[in-house]
Amino acid sequence: MTDSQTILLATLPSAPQTPAPVKAVLPPSSIAPAKIAAKPVVEPKHSNESIERSLIDQSARGPVLTFFSTAIFWLLVSTVLGYIASKRLHEPEFIIGPEWLYKAVGIDGLLRSIWDNCFTYGRVWPAYNTALIYGWCSLAGMGVATWLIGRLCRVSITSPAVLQLGAWFWNIGVAVGVIMLLGGNNTGLEYFELHRGARILMFIGYLFIGVWGLILFRYKRTVAPYISVSYLVAGFFLFPWFFGAADLLTSAAMPGVMKNIVNAWYQGGLFNLWFGCIGLASAYYFIPKVINQPIYSYNLAKIGFWGWVFLGGLTAMTKLNGGPVPAYLITISIAASILSIIPIACLTVNIGRTMLGHTEKMAYSPTLRFTYVGTVFFAIAAGLGVLGALRGVDSFTHFTTWDYGVKHTLLMGFFSMVMFGAIYYITPRLVGCEWLSRTFIKLHFLGTAYGGATIIALFLFGGLSAGFALHDSAVDPSAANPGREFIFTNVLQNGGWQHIVRTYIGYVFFGLAQIIFAIHFTFMRLRIGQPAGEPTLMANPGEAH
Amino acid sequence: MDKPSTLFTGIFGAFIVSTGAMVLLPHSQLSGLQSQVTWDEGAKSPSNVYPVKIEHSMGHRHGERVYVENGCFYCHTQQIRDPQFGPDIERGWGARRTVARDYIYQDTPLLGFTRMGPDLANYGWRDTDGKRYWRNEQASDTAKPAVRDELFIFKHLFNPRERVNASNCPSYTTLFELREIGAGVSPDAVKVENGKQWLPTTSARNLAAYLLSLDRSQELKEAPLPKKEAKK
Repeated sequence: MTDSQTILLATLPSAPQTPAPVKAVLPPSSIAPAKIAAKPVVEPKHSNESIERSLIDQSARGPVLTFFSTAIFWLLVSTVLGYIASKRLHEPEFIIGPEWLYKAVGIDGLLRSIWDNCFTYGRVWPAYNTALIYGWCSLAGMGVATWLIGRLCRVSITSPAVLQLGAWFWNIGVAVGVIMLLGGNNTGLEYFELHRGARILMFIGYLFIGVWGLILFRYKRTVAPYISVSYLVAGFFLFPWFFGAADLLTSAAMPGVMKNIVNAWYQGGLFNLWFGCIGLASAYYFIPKVINQPIYSYNLAKIGFWGWVFLGGLTAMTKLNGGPVPAYLITISIAASILSIIPIACLTVNIGRTMLGHTEKMAYSPTLRFTYVGTVFFAIAAGLGVLGALRGVDSFTHFTTWDYGVKHTLLMGFFSMVMFGAIYYITPRLVGCEWLSRTFIKLHFLGTAYGGATIIALFLFGGLSAGFALHDSAVDPSAANPGREFIFTNVLQNGGWQHIVRTYIGYVFFGLAQIIFAIHFTFMRLRIGQPAGEPTLMANPGEAH
Repeated sequence: MDKPSTLFTGIFGAFIVSTGAMVLLPHSQLSGLQSQVTWDEGAKSPSNVYPVKIEHSMGHRHGERVYVENGCFYCHTQQIRDPQFGPDIERGWGARRTVARDYIYQDTPLLGFTRMGPDLANYGWRDTDGKRYWRNEQASDTAKPAVRDELFIFKHLFNPRERVNASNCPSYTTLFELREIGAGVSPDAVKVENGKQWLPTTSARNLAAYLLSLDRSQELKEAPLPKKEAKK
């Protein structure tokens, strides 16, 4: 137990992002506080360990930067697609760009036909989800995870070309998948719409990356006995099983609704275990690191980990509530969702207590601000997941965009934020200069947080109000809309779509922030930035804000 | 952190538990499902088989592909839930809840994810006289046709806002082609403009055939029809 904390303290960066003086007395901790307090927290500069760390960073440079660059490319693509999808849902006749431009180019007929054919809501929406989930989130997660494994296991990456190859296989797979989705090659399974060829390319890529990660873990020199390692191993180990099994099972001749069941099961693995584990590993690493404190309780972290890993794969069947599937599946999922309050509470209490008294550091450390806000979003997403699993709530949220809201809380609120925090920390250590502009970082944070929150809130509230309208068959539309088929117009007109359609405003803010971030990251790759040594902070310590 | 062996065993155990409960158990239960065959007393052949396996060559299999390609299932569900979950039956979307047996011959059951549009599980439902009437619907409405037919679907696909102002369904104009009016305006023409007519392509025809084939109103022993059917 104490080992974990001593090693964590030993692996603190030589130039911590928090220039604040280290407190002499650590916050009350249940585990051997005397020993921790006795341990010197700041190490001498240029110790052997700090040289070793920079060597490890250098070995990880190529692949990790490839992961980040391609991930950011997909982030931009997905934001544009998300904007188009939400706009097209609002105004189905919406055309991107002015009409005269199409005519001026002279091929307006062709462009119109491509637009009408490939960019209807039903095709853009899955392309957007694929670019977001498999493009941005997965690639950023793999980049951060690669770097974290190198750091935590203290191993250099000896042949980075294998990882690069894996990254490119994955990227080509995602690109093929997104283009084929726009062309109409859809499997009919949510978040698993990719064509099988694309999935196989991605799986080959993943084998290079994931097997490499596990080999790295095997040949570790030391392992910091730290909770992040558990989360990383779980994420890296479980994802291929879920992905591969879902691929094989949905390609096989399964009897009817089994494919939908496998689809829901896969979603549990994808969102809870892949994104959940990688994101939490990053949060558990960077929050204590930046504030220069051990986590509050290692036991809580451990309970949270095992609870999450065991329950995460069981909660997803609430998607099929009321559907033509065996009822016990839904009962198991509801029970698992309610039980998962335990790991969620463990995590929230743990991170919250660790941050207690250090929240002021969020004012200047970008890593801490992004990561901590991301963790808060995790608690919200998980809480909403539990809430939505309850039958009473579900009957008002089923078949609405509520589920999109919960998924976006996890992807945009939690995972993306945590990844941004990690990228702000890792990139300077790889390229050898610091971020150029604190204004860029601030704008990025504002756009991401408020744009993402707008998207999430509109999906949730729109979903709820649509749910009330869907639930209420007594709403008589005859007065306002005489005789519309299936009495559905009331849902369209009173049902909250007017909220949902405004999600495009959120996408505008979110997208602008990501453009700023992409420019900033490009500067870093071109080594345009502040000189190395002093991290770029969002405000000077002690400054009023 | 736990020892690596404990860690791997535990994680793999979690995967096994999840797969066992969520995949293997329902598979063992559902893999044996077959059509319900009804025999009248003394008859040589069954009086009713449901669901029926549809041959691959038939047009509405292609129509189903068009349905999937254009992502119709993101907004239209194809499942009727029990009254305890919502007023699906009250809305007239179906006579009974749908069950696993309804979907056994589908490659990928398109259960759907949201209801931005109405449910289509029984879109091709026929009354006892063989016609597709609207259910749970005002009789006095003059805007709607008497029955659901291909032409109605074509018009809806071509411009959903022509009849339903608030609809946010895309116009699938690419499923139609502009043709010369030869011997006269075809009965399938959805629009006539500049001396030409918009005619449905094979994809649109197959999609309509698929939609009109959707009928899950046959009584099953695990999903009996409610005593009083809500229809006019």
